[in-house]
Amino acid sequence: MDKTSEEASSKGKKRQRDQQPTDPQTNQPHHQIFSLEDNLSFTDTLVALRMMRAQFPRIDKVSIQPFILRSQLYSSVKDRTQVDRELESLRREKVVRIFKLNTGQDDHAIMFLDDYLNQMENVVKRLEEKEGDQVFKWFRTHVIDSKLEPSIEHQELYTLLSLGGMVKDGHISLLINAGLLILKSVVLWSFSVLASYTRQLIDPNMYWFAIPNIGSVLKGLSQGRKEVLSFLNRRRYKEMMLASMEKKCLRFSPLDMRFHLRDLIGSGHLKTVQTSTGLLVRVSKD
Amino acid sequence: MWKEIGDRERGILRPKSFTTRIKSNRIRTLQISNHKDIVSPHRASINSLQVDLTEGRYLLSGAADASAAVYDVQRATDYEGGGLIAKHKCLFVVDKQHEHGHKYAISSAIWYPVDTGLFITGSHDHHINVWDTNTTQVVMNFKMPGKVYRTAMSSLATTHMLIAAGTEDVQVRLCDIASGAFSHTLSGHRDGVMTVEWSTSSEWVLVTGGCDGAIRFWDIRRAGCFLVLDQSHSQLGRRPTIPEHSATNKALTSKSLSSGQNLNAKPRAQQRKLANGNGTKQSPVGRMPAKGSLRQRLHPGMLSSLDRATAHYGAVTGLKATEDGMYLLSAGSDSRLRLWDVESGCNTLVNFETVRLQAGKPIQLATSQDSALVFVPCMTAVKAFDVWSGNTSQTFRGHYEYVNSCWFSSQEQELYTGGNDKQILVWSPPRMKDLLRIGITGVIDICS
Repeated sequence: MDKTSEEASSKGKKRQRDQQPTDPQTNQPHHQIFSLEDNLSFTDTLVALRMMRAQFPRIDKVSIQPFILRSQLYSSVKDRTQVDRELESLRREKVVRIFKLNTGQDDHAIMFLDDYLNQMENVVKRLEEKEGDQVFKWFRTHVIDSKLEPSIEHQELYTLLSLGGMVKDGHISLLINAGLLILKSVVLWSFSVLASYTRQLIDPNMYWFAIPNIGSVLKGLSQGRKEVLSFLNRRRYKEMMLASMEKKCLRFSPLDMRFHLRDLIGSGHLKTVQTSTGLLVRVSKD
Repeated sequence: MWKEIGDRERGILRPKSFTTRIKSNRIRTLQISNHKDIVSPHRASINSLQVDLTEGRYLLSGAADASAAVYDVQRATDYEGGGLIAKHKCLFVVDKQHEHGHKYAISSAIWYPVDTGLFITGSHDHHINVWDTNTTQVVMNFKMPGKVYRTAMSSLATTHMLIAAGTEDVQVRLCDIASGAFSHTLSGHRDGVMTVEWSTSSEWVLVTGGCDGAIRFWDIRRAGCFLVLDQSHSQLGRRPTIPEHSATNKALTSKSLSSGQNLNAKPRAQQRKLANGNGTKQSPVGRMPAKGSLRQRLHPGMLSSLDRATAHYGAVTGLKATEDGMYLLSAGSDSRLRLWDVESGCNTLVNFETVRLQAGKPIQLATSQDSALVFVPCMTAVKAFDVWSGNTSQTFRGHYEYVNSCWFSSQEQELYTGGNDKQILVWSPPRMKDLLRIGITGVIDICS
């Protein structure tokens, strides 16, 4: 949207983030000037990404860099094809990285490259591995730089890491233990919220790239989704005003209501209806 | 409308653009038909629908109770409601009681593309039957190693009469009607093959989609597939942009180092002819070595079996090629619909807003003739999407349960849909008579 809403967006938030966006704010006393209603749609994918990154909730227990879900982008920009294409060009320009998540059928997390590298640094520092220190450096310089897709084959991983030095099998296990890579070798029958499933074949040679330290957040993500949907489903007419929904706190998820609302609206589980008193959120019947 | 007719008379409007305008106007006003009704004799869900390609007159449907029926969609069998509603009953039905009929569900029923004298049904009882329409007898029978999911015959073929069969076995089999035997098998998929479609631009090219999520293009004259679609290879737009430096373009769109695809190799056509309907499995030479160094032992045509690129994150449940043969639409059980550019093999990144698609069964997609709209069965509704922008143009809600197949007849601009609720629904533009009647009564109301 426009500049005023951009400034207004981080005012009056209950949880302040460490990294503040550009303009200084004045704290509004009682009202939450920012509301999801005003900030639901943007014109451009990059603007939407930056805004949502700024609005990422701060989680106390886990230090995690902000990431954005693809479904959140779909709820924010009108034209989905435009979102896909712009994401593709951003990915090719190495501005963002896309990761496939294992929650649900087609979940992708988008993270700015700098954030991802910061996250990697934090995780590596905490591991304090003497031997395998170099692997992470090789991973960072050779693999992340050249392989832009969300998955990689074993052979190629080996070749790229060898550009840094002698690679042993133990090195790759280090990467897996750090949470940077996940083996595709499990047959996943993963049930998403609507109980539809995907089956991924046993593929012992492929790895997915992953965001390290994200496990608890992902669990919170699926639980939060279920909680929001069950909350709305329990109501008589399965709907609620967006403004009052935002104020609710979620019990099972560290991510805030706004995050989940954007995600569920974008993936089609919820839909918004414009009424004379504001936006209404309703569970969509497929 | 009248102005357009006048323009056509005077020659201002070309005949082709006149027809396309009328047709697209009619398609935009599709709704559940209030003057046509197909009475379906099936007692289980309808899995497959097809109108014959020669006349566009006979609709063939295959259902899960092993019955197949043919209806005449242009001539009604009787009329109801004072002559207003045309009822189309089936001309004949073949079911389990038939001595050579199928025993389990029919998953696919297609017409012989040359004329309506033959039709082919594939069923979960592992058999493909070729029926003579006039005598309703089985003239040929092929036994498959697994449940048959889809059968297809090329509408362009002039030199061959092959039925491509996708079964729960990993190999795609080609059955020859002329000789009554299997012609050859195509290996490369790693799981059952749910959809098969012949290309609309070449009689030798077959496209198959498997439960492993891969879409492969096969030239049946040689071994192995020549293209595997990869969802991470994408292009931004209808056609790929002309590269400034071919090197940079290659870096973006070339395959990874360890993939075995060999686009430049010219393998000799090694067709494995098997005798007399014996569907014995032939394992490809040097099947899937673990280490890359053993790759040299594989026949160059079989290198494609090492390519594990997937087009969808789940099974590929529906395929449809556009009439011009340049684009391919694929539906997957990951509830995504993707549009592929056949020439470059890239994903055009058009996003179709599908929330959920049916996952366990193959679904049949339909495109309108100028390929501007694609009709997709989405759970209990059928949605029409604009192919280039991905926007939902219309939603057709009428079925009580999941819709399995839809067929668009471009001659009549009618859509036929069949689903698990055992009904075949007809969606047609409102008749001119109805529009005029409403117009006249409206005028009378104003005057009186």
